Amino acid sequence: MGKSKERIAGYLFVLPALIYMLFFVGYPVIDNIRLSLIDVNVMNFSSGDHPFVGLENYKILQREGILATTLTNTIVYTIGCIIIQFICGLGFAMLFSIPFRMAARLRGLVMISWLLPATITAMVFKYMFSADGIVNELLMQVGLIPDPIKWLVEPVTAMLVLVVANTWIGIPFNMILITSGLTTIPKDLYESAAIDGANTMKRFFKITLPLLKPTILSLLVLGFIYTFRVFDLVLITTHGGPVDATQMMSTYAYKLSFDEFKYSQGAALSNVMLLVLLVVGFVYMRLVNREEKA
Amino acid sequence: MRRFRLWTLAATLVFAIALTGCGNNSSENTSKESDNASATQVEKAAVEKKKLTLWFYFEGKERFDKLKTLTDGFTAQNPNVEIEPVYVPFADLKKRLSVGLAAEDLPDLVIIDNPDHAAYAAMGLFADITDEVSTWTDKDQFYEGPWSSTIYDGKQYGVPLGSNNLALYYNEQMLADAGVTPPQTWDELREAAKKLTKNGVTGLGISAPANEEGTFQFLPWLLSAGANYDQLGSPEGIKAFSVLADLIKDGSMSKEIINWTQSDVLKQFSTGKVAMMVNGPWQLPELASTVPDLKFGLTFVPKDKAFSSVLGGENLGVVKGDHVKEATAFVKYVVSPEVIKPFLQSFGYFPPRKDVAADPYWTENPQLKVFAENMEYAMPRGPHPKWPEISNVISQAMSKAFTLHSTPEEAAKDAQSKIDAILK
Amino acid sequence: MSIAVSSIHRSRRLRRNAIPLLSILLVAVFLFPLYWLAVTSFKTESEIFRTPPTLFPHQFDVKSYTEQLTSSNYNIMQGFRNSALIAFGALAISTLLAIPASYGLARFSIAGKHLMLLLFLVTQMLPASLILTPLFILYKQFGLLHAPFWATILANATAGIPFTIVTLRTYFITLPKELEESAKIDGCNIFTTFWRIMLPIALPGVVVAMVFSFLFAWGDLIYGMTFISKEHMRPITAGIYNFLGFQRTSWNHSMAFGMVSILPVVFIFIFVQKFIVSGLTNGAVKG
Repeated sequence: MGKSKERIAGYLFVLPALIYMLFFVGYPVIDNIRLSLIDVNVMNFSSGDHPFVGLENYKILQREGILATTLTNTIVYTIGCIIIQFICGLGFAMLFSIPFRMAARLRGLVMISWLLPATITAMVFKYMFSADGIVNELLMQVGLIPDPIKWLVEPVTAMLVLVVANTWIGIPFNMILITSGLTTIPKDLYESAAIDGANTMKRFFKITLPLLKPTILSLLVLGFIYTFRVFDLVLITTHGGPVDATQMMSTYAYKLSFDEFKYSQGAALSNVMLLVLLVVGFVYMRLVNREEKA
Repeated sequence: MRRFRLWTLAATLVFAIALTGCGNNSSENTSKESDNASATQVEKAAVEKKKLTLWFYFEGKERFDKLKTLTDGFTAQNPNVEIEPVYVPFADLKKRLSVGLAAEDLPDLVIIDNPDHAAYAAMGLFADITDEVSTWTDKDQFYEGPWSSTIYDGKQYGVPLGSNNLALYYNEQMLADAGVTPPQTWDELREAAKKLTKNGVTGLGISAPANEEGTFQFLPWLLSAGANYDQLGSPEGIKAFSVLADLIKDGSMSKEIINWTQSDVLKQFSTGKVAMMVNGPWQLPELASTVPDLKFGLTFVPKDKAFSSVLGGENLGVVKGDHVKEATAFVKYVVSPEVIKPFLQSFGYFPPRKDVAADPYWTENPQLKVFAENMEYAMPRGPHPKWPEISNVISQAMSKAFTLHSTPEEAAKDAQSKIDAILK
Repeated sequence: MSIAVSSIHRSRRLRRNAIPLLSILLVAVFLFPLYWLAVTSFKTESEIFRTPPTLFPHQFDVKSYTEQLTSSNYNIMQGFRNSALIAFGALAISTLLAIPASYGLARFSIAGKHLMLLLFLVTQMLPASLILTPLFILYKQFGLLHAPFWATILANATAGIPFTIVTLRTYFITLPKELEESAKIDGCNIFTTFWRIMLPIALPGVVVAMVFSFLFAWGDLIYGMTFISKEHMRPITAGIYNFLGFQRTSWNHSMAFGMVSILPVVFIFIFVQKFIVSGLTNGAVKG
């Protein structure tokens, strides 16, 4: 009796949000899948004659090497970003969790990088990393490099700039979620550990990290998702160049759909994105599941 | 205590809304005033009005006002038609049109980049106005290049609005100091660029990003070598890639051109970081206002076989829908000589029609003369419904060749096979 | 013994001086792009292109700011108001729907719970630009295109809802179950337990989720651009985007607009930040 009442209550809590999302996002996603299985392009757009082609659009992407290039780029970029921004975010969160007078204010300052529209951030980084830009100037003054580096012209450095820019945006996000996670760790755990003679390092690895695990998990997964779908930043900073070296799945799908009018191929590429993210989501669920059962 | 905090937070949010709400009052007042102004116009018209929308991507209030002069002028003659110009950023226009087409939610008129015209015609965006135009005597006045860009599959889908093309700008002082004359041929260019490259200045700047802008800047070189977009892999095509790649190898042109827009190139030129640049006439007003003291000259883009020029500019397209008749009338009104002339002048455009182009404003101005002569043989891009795709292949090949990751030959051959696949 | 004391002493002094100094240094380096943004916005065009670049404007120029007011017909104040309306609207929807949902998913055994969670994760994954066309058609069918603010708010809430659910659910899970049990003994039913007991305790998490939901909507460009075609209804991000255009690059103008666009958010944020931080550090959960 009580159990079933609880179950109904659970549904009442969850369903409104679920229905909302299914309606506003589920429908477009399904429509995208439909679009990827037919052929809609510039020549037959208006005729209404859109033949069913099965997986042909996916095969084209694979044949032309688009899939391999964009998938690799996106994954390199995503992994690079989430690792660095997590470490930096954790560092900031730990640093500001030490009670000192300016901690709160400094933490607030760090948040500002998150508030800047991606369009502007992209422009600032593009400007800073241009050949005559301030980054080259500073590096040369310190003596780290003899000549200016053409950051946005070479494939590897262009990717590096994107990773740095996105990390800059992502650090506050990591920091604040970790900070919020830190508050759930009971203080007396540290106190008793201190009495037991555990040093700072030991306390960090034995208490902080394990207890932060749920936070870290959702943080990494969310970070993966937000980074994986990056769009504006790449479009403005490198436009996918040089020679597709920073072309991401999202930017390429956009290019296919709205620049070359190959709507079905664009839809197919974004569905591959969805698939990758589904796998990540699934792995996350498994981990969470194990965590909650434990 | 905790609840108190929640309430303070809520109060803060409400306060923030109230604060931003204050800005609202003043702006509402201003919009009311302008409503009053237009209200009097409505009373004069009395008859029921047809409201049309025109999408355009020109930036800035000045250009908006000039466009508004056109639409207001039309309404003055046709009181029952009102046309509202709506700004859509260039980078967003294609997306907005695609989405609008799918949802059947479109404007009545669009000002569109001319190489994209055929693609949108093929997608069914534009109304076929062949019949309305066939009896129109003015049509013979248009230059071949711009006019053909409005035709797809033998049918007329719009009218050229304004044209432009590219020329070589050079910094007179720098050329004099280096003891070189403005280069006319590719060989002269290479020599000149080498001599001009020193003290942080590079000889030449062009814009070569991986998009339509890059393709636009590359075509004069390609055409001059005697090739066209479907012959990239030919010896002539390869030569066009080589000449620019050589400049980069020499150090006389920066690899960064693959990230420069045409405005970036202008900034490089006006701040004295490049001695020569390839750019269009629309940059002249900007140069005059930002660096009035800079002495520069203009000449044709250096040639291989023959001076060549590529057609830039916009077309006015009439969109399918309920207002094709009114929209067509508007298009004809806009391109009539007396209306278009002041408009073109204010926009830094060249006339797409010969009778207007004969005006001394264009033929006798020493700065505009080069562009005016170019107009005579300016080639349109395409026209081809898959131009956007073709263009991406070309600009991609440019990136490969200019970053020196591929030889010009590899880049050109690879592009050729991709273009063959598109055209087949 | 004395060694131990002095080491405690030393670590105290370290904490008092070194840590704040280190923090300030790190934050300063971190915020350098922001400094560069500000500095560039006050430079003249010729100074921007000078090599080597100047670390501080030699000629302090506010033209980039004044020109924003005169050369564009976009009203910045109105843009802020529009952005605020959209962001608070989206915040309201996602708060209302997502907070109960995250509690539900954290505490109740629901059939297909993990599928639902996966769905929430998935639904926020695709870049907005790729679901734009079907969404646009959907809106047209429901007549939502005639209410562009609503269209934009509804679309923006789809970013906040899954985020709130995913982050807040973990927050609810970490809260001790005894809280609810004792509430039940005190005569609370499921809903009053949630409303009176759990929600106030989860406040730090809730505030963080709310702030992020707000910021997602505030930073949105693509929905505001697509669904709102009337200039005076556009949010500030679309205003910036329109103002900058993509055909011309003017660093100082871009940076000036960037500065103006973040100022109010920073102000609101500095204000709200106190609540976040106090919520976080007071340790809302104590055993």
